[in-house]
Amino acid sequence: MGTIFFELALTFYFAASILSIAGIIRKKDDLERTVFSLSLLGFALHTFYLFIRYIKSGQAPVFSMHEANSYFAWSILLISLIIRTCYNARILSFGVILSFIFMFVGAFFPRNIPSLKPELKSLWIDIHALMAVFGIALLSLAFVFSILYLIQEKAIKTKKFIGVGSIIPSLEILDKINYRLIFWGFPIYTIGLIVGFIKYLNLLGFNFDPKEIWSFLTWTVYLSIFYLRVKQDWRKKKAAYLTIFAFLLVIFGFFGINLLTESFHKPL
Amino acid sequence: MSLLVIGLNHKTASVEVREKLAFNSKEALREALKKLTQEKGIDEAVIISTCNRVEIYVKSIVPSDSEGNVQDHIEDTIKQFLSKFHGVDRHLFENYLYVYKDREAVEHLFKVTSSLDSMIIGEPQITGQVKESYEIALSERTTSLILNHLMKRALFTAKRVRNETRIGENPVSVSYAAVGLIKKVFDELPRKSVLLIGAGEMAELALRNLIGSGIKNVFITNRTYERAEELAKEFNGTAVPMEKLKEQLIKTDIVLCSTGAPNYVITEKMLKEIMPLRKYKPIFFIDISVPRNIDPSCNNLDNVYLYNIDDLQDVVDSNLLERKKEAQKALAIVQEETEKFFLWLNSLESVPVIVSIRNKAEQLRLEELEKFRAKFKDLPPELLNSIEHLTQSIINKIMHNPTVALKNNCENKEILIYSARRLFGLDNEEE
Repeated sequence: MGTIFFELALTFYFAASILSIAGIIRKKDDLERTVFSLSLLGFALHTFYLFIRYIKSGQAPVFSMHEANSYFAWSILLISLIIRTCYNARILSFGVILSFIFMFVGAFFPRNIPSLKPELKSLWIDIHALMAVFGIALLSLAFVFSILYLIQEKAIKTKKFIGVGSIIPSLEILDKINYRLIFWGFPIYTIGLIVGFIKYLNLLGFNFDPKEIWSFLTWTVYLSIFYLRVKQDWRKKKAAYLTIFAFLLVIFGFFGINLLTESFHKPL
Repeated sequence: MSLLVIGLNHKTASVEVREKLAFNSKEALREALKKLTQEKGIDEAVIISTCNRVEIYVKSIVPSDSEGNVQDHIEDTIKQFLSKFHGVDRHLFENYLYVYKDREAVEHLFKVTSSLDSMIIGEPQITGQVKESYEIALSERTTSLILNHLMKRALFTAKRVRNETRIGENPVSVSYAAVGLIKKVFDELPRKSVLLIGAGEMAELALRNLIGSGIKNVFITNRTYERAEELAKEFNGTAVPMEKLKEQLIKTDIVLCSTGAPNYVITEKMLKEIMPLRKYKPIFFIDISVPRNIDPSCNNLDNVYLYNIDDLQDVVDSNLLERKKEAQKALAIVQEETEKFFLWLNSLESVPVIVSIRNKAEQLRLEELEKFRAKFKDLPPELLNSIEHLTQSIINKIMHNPTVALKNNCENKEILIYSARRLFGLDNEEE
């Protein structure tokens, strides 16, 4: 079933992550190009893997725990690669490490193709899931860059450079990336949710699912961040803290709700 | 054969002595190289002459004695040459000279090129200066096999040190440290604006560095407006009257402050008014004045970053400390490369080369003989024996002349050996 491509991608991500960590510890980014090549190779294999799964099952490869993690990892890396290209910022290391972690988690779940209820086999449900998760990936990276922003900010403020500073980009670029991530992440996530919600109303009427309530809650936090951003208030620390808080909600929605409640959204 | 360096640097000699021995122009350097290599016993030479050092590297055909000492007269020849060339009495500089031989000389050159011997460890210019010195020697044809290889390895070592350690990464002067800090906050410097308040020397230096990093919008204010205008002309900026300081702060990203005022020119209260008007856009203050001109409590405000002269000095100190740590790593690289250089040098000894060539020939002979035997199994053993003898004697005849030539002591023997290695394909991997 092509899982060999999953293993291969995982291996490349692993190698890229090790080099990234080495780079972060050594505070040198001379391995950056190698990290980029390895990530790109892994990404190509991963894309192929997702594609095969989609062709075979006829449904988006995002419905089981294995699929959700792998697609999430894929999204993270895609976005990181785009940021690296657009901003020429040395940030890929952080993206690929994150990507590897989710990929690794995904490796522990059964890899069979989940059988969806027939009424859920629809292009709209696919779009809903793909967009919502991709939106979350964008927002998660906003979380990572918010943390980096706070680390860098603190180092500059307290005048204590504990080292990592030199490989973290400038505050301005971190903030720019953050803004872009929220700028794209929030609408994509929103559309994903709306598509899902309309389809859901069609199918089941008003009967709220815990995951939906949670998603709505998370959405409102992002709405406030989005508002802060668009208003051009430059007190970036506030936005950074909010982004971190919102992401924790997302993570809980991603794992916690699934594990704790009998949700309609429970991965298969 | 032996390698030797004679020289002096900022650690051993004062500038009065260094300037007497410096080769100030390329022409002087060319002439010196020519004259030096005409001296008896010196057949390759490179001269490195910078404001911090004068060093003469030579390869001499005179071999080192059992203790690794070059016969004294080469040393003497070079000192004599220096004295004659510069018209300076020997005793005026002799005591400041250091002499390194063979392994020490190689290690010294690698250290110098990698900027481990510099006044400011890790400064990048020296590598370029060594390269330039080598290129001049190259164009004057005063280097050959040995020094060519040595200089190339030195530059390669410097590259390794730069790539593999963080020795040159953090700024170690106050004005560069300021620019480095500003770059941690702002990304696109050409789009930022800078305001210079006052006119201290250090602030001007920092401003120059900022302009060098691409900043174009320069504003200057001063207690006396005429002085501000003067400076504005010099830095291609705009003069701003002191009364408009607040308005200017609203649209400025970087402030360099260095006035003689005895009190705070910028206070926390002032910034509390200004920050909302800036929509809290980050602002970076560098206060180089003593007594300080910017209230230190300004740093407590969000998106206000304030560094004073001591903060900058702290950054420089910790960067210097880090460079020293990195220098230890660099030293390991230098030693590794020195080792490699001597491995290469040893490969130019005659006996091992003769042995290698003979082994190679013998191996080829046996292989071909084996093939022949497999092909013609039915030949009578006597005939096979004769054929074996025949091959052996051909090999011996062919090897005779090369062996004799390699064993003979002649000038530039290394080149002969080097050529032999290449002709017989002894080194598969060419660097």
